[in-house]
Amino acid sequence: MTTIQQPRILGAGVDRVDGPLKVTGQARYPNDVNLPGMAYAAVVRSTIPSGRITRIDTTAAGKSPGVLEVITHENADHLGEAPATFIKNPQPPLQDDVIRYYGQYVAVVVADTQQNATAAAGLIEVDYDRHEAILDPHDPRAERIKDPWGEDTAWGDVRTALKRAPVMIDQTYTTSENTNNPLGLFTTLASWDGDTLTLHDSNQWPNMIQQVVAAMFGLPRDAVRVLTPFVGGGFGAGLRCWSHIPLAVMAARHVGRPVKLELTRPEMFTGLGHRTSSINWIRLGATRDGRLTAIEHESLTTLPLDGDEYEPCSSVSTWSYASPNVTARDQQVRLNIPWTNFMRAPGDAQGNFALESAIDELAWEVGLDPLEIRLLNYAEVDPKTGRPWSSNALRQCLEVGAQRFGWSNRNPEIGSMRDGHELVGYGVAGVSFFWYQQPCSATVIVRGDGSAYIRSAVTDIGTGTYTIMAQLAAGLLGLEVDQVEMQLGDSSMPVGTAAGGSGLTAALGSAVHDACGRLIKKFVELAGTDPFSPLADVPFGDVEVSEGRLFRKGEPTRGESLARILAVHGLTELSAESTSTPNSADQMGMTPAGARGARFVEVRVDEDLGRVRVARIVTVNDGGRILNEKLARSQILGGTVGGVGMALFEDTVTDKDTGRIANATFGDYLIPVNADIPDVHVEFVGEPDAFNPIGVKGVGEIGLVGVAAAIANGIFHATGKRMRSLPITMDAVMD
Amino acid sequence: MTTLTVNGTEYPLDLADPRVTLLDALRDRLDLTGTKKGCDQGACGACTVLCDGRRILSCLTLAAQCDGREITTIEGLESHPMQDAFVRHDAFQCGYCTSGQIMSAVALLGENRAGTDADIREYMSGNLCRCGAYSNIVAAVREVARHA
Repeated sequence: MTTIQQPRILGAGVDRVDGPLKVTGQARYPNDVNLPGMAYAAVVRSTIPSGRITRIDTTAAGKSPGVLEVITHENADHLGEAPATFIKNPQPPLQDDVIRYYGQYVAVVVADTQQNATAAAGLIEVDYDRHEAILDPHDPRAERIKDPWGEDTAWGDVRTALKRAPVMIDQTYTTSENTNNPLGLFTTLASWDGDTLTLHDSNQWPNMIQQVVAAMFGLPRDAVRVLTPFVGGGFGAGLRCWSHIPLAVMAARHVGRPVKLELTRPEMFTGLGHRTSSINWIRLGATRDGRLTAIEHESLTTLPLDGDEYEPCSSVSTWSYASPNVTARDQQVRLNIPWTNFMRAPGDAQGNFALESAIDELAWEVGLDPLEIRLLNYAEVDPKTGRPWSSNALRQCLEVGAQRFGWSNRNPEIGSMRDGHELVGYGVAGVSFFWYQQPCSATVIVRGDGSAYIRSAVTDIGTGTYTIMAQLAAGLLGLEVDQVEMQLGDSSMPVGTAAGGSGLTAALGSAVHDACGRLIKKFVELAGTDPFSPLADVPFGDVEVSEGRLFRKGEPTRGESLARILAVHGLTELSAESTSTPNSADQMGMTPAGARGARFVEVRVDEDLGRVRVARIVTVNDGGRILNEKLARSQILGGTVGGVGMALFEDTVTDKDTGRIANATFGDYLIPVNADIPDVHVEFVGEPDAFNPIGVKGVGEIGLVGVAAAIANGIFHATGKRMRSLPITMDAVMD
Repeated sequence: MTTLTVNGTEYPLDLADPRVTLLDALRDRLDLTGTKKGCDQGACGACTVLCDGRRILSCLTLAAQCDGREITTIEGLESHPMQDAFVRHDAFQCGYCTSGQIMSAVALLGENRAGTDADIREYMSGNLCRCGAYSNIVAAVREVARHA
């Protein structure tokens, strides 16, 4: 709809615009905000996984120094139902005596200092009537939900194809529970002013928090303001309105002061959800030369008693490879566990590990190079519908990656590439990531001095939204990047979508793109009303924009600056708003393809100890158009680190007797440290995607996917041992 | 009365409550919130500050222990080249661990432990980065160490 010139600055690896604030300690995260008269809260959590509270004694806590209030289910406010926002939110806390999982909030203490609140919380005595808990996904008493999202998929005749297949792989792959663990402790600072409420809150979607809190407390939405200019990471943890948020709000109302509730690290394990464990059953049928004839993928993931979760692990098998017969089914099982929730690449991370391990097994079975088998079964079009992809450079990812890695130096024989006491293995995995986009609004405003700013109630969780949106708008408005400011993290701004599903850049970017076009049109129309303007008779389609000036195409001298147009018309600023909505696949006649990628890893396995070290990684990705190469590279690097964690370290261990998470600290729940991460080569290939006007796909999650499979496949090459369960620990390698 | 000397300024502090950690004193009492709390258990390094020039975990240090010592926090760095290098190498994403990473990296230079990439990786391993900016952190530290 716009004819504004091709942007000049897009893609440039400009430094993060919020960088200076972050390296000087000046960026204020929610827990950095201190308000006058502020009190501190500490929570008490259940120590059983299932049952009822029979007695809760707060006498000692109430008398403890500095304590202002103790709230339990016996004196809690009755709150309204939490609405679903794309997905369910936990119902309000402290509404009854029922315990559904270990770690559920049973009380909150408010005191004048954090030390006093924490000490008093330890004085609360709770007695329970403990019921038998269901903690094992295989427990026959557990509720099983088949086809939870109505997305089970089948085409062809998998059963017959498998029966007739000359070669079959039939294996089970499991992944453990992982915990998001953003480094920033999630915090809610709640402050009432009459009937209006302000929250400084850690989340990835301020309008979602606003909507849920307003509903719970019976407030109009605009009486709740949620501020999240910075958040210490999320990885999905900030996509629901968790129970500590209404607790802080309730506590602030009780004491008539602002209340800060900062979760502790152990509370971050039970209070913000975690990546579900998964069991994946995969059957592949193939010809003797390695051509797939059937893929059957079934998964089982977990749910808490009263929540939901979208984790379609099997769906990767419906779009990753060409196969005439495919069945993909998912099931969920309800357990007495803390909530399962989105974590970087939900479903895909686990499903890809299973599928890419199975494809590797098939390669060995038929004697094909693991790279070759992926190219042989390449999905040139959407295998489900036969439609063309909006773009798909997976082949290029695999080919470029192989070249950069030196895949051709690989000796295919198992255990043949030894270096001292270390066995060397090369592993590869392909990645076809899901596509996701939601509606999003933004306003773009040009000020009287010719500078501009953008407003949208989104968050920048470290992905670079502040920077890339300034770049995008600068290109579209003909300004320098430092002339454009992205304002975000405030629910009172135009309604923003979640920083999730790798979908924010497409959603927000499309809105900014459209708003910039509308804004330029407004300027042209405004100039058209001024008979002295050099642009007076110039139609919108003939206008170009550069260096803060509008001018007639090909006649740079015939124009005037945005600032001058505003001045002539006595305006201090001019704005345009837009709401983007995802295009329709039917109307576009194509299947929107998420990002694509290839992983190549060299692993080193200590023959005596079974220790696995990742020696180098090449990761090549098709993210469509890349708005900022430096920041996009960082997203891939970060995803890669997460992938190494999933492969080798991360395992949230639930005690099978009590339901307690047994390793809920950074000392016990291992994530990669600097020394675990080798040289990582990141490269982008592909072309602008056709499905949205700015051509992006989103690269926040794909970097993680495929790393685990590539590592497992490399370990097989090194040792001949097939790792079908994550994380891959020393004992499994030595077994 | 305890006197905390932070970034060259003396702060008299009433520490009637001996449980107050240096981290909480900085953040809650002095409003120096650049130093971050990531675990409060000495496992993540987000709270790293310098005490008499050495890096320490402020969450495992009681404020009362710091009487008469010189504390340096991220707010006390005066345009250190490490800060600029972190920005240019994009050595952070969410930025929450960054203060601790930078304080650790600055101390590392003085410890003569930034000679090789392997050393930088090893001696920066007490500072977790969940966003996974490790490679860029190494690049930033390497560059500053070479020009030091």
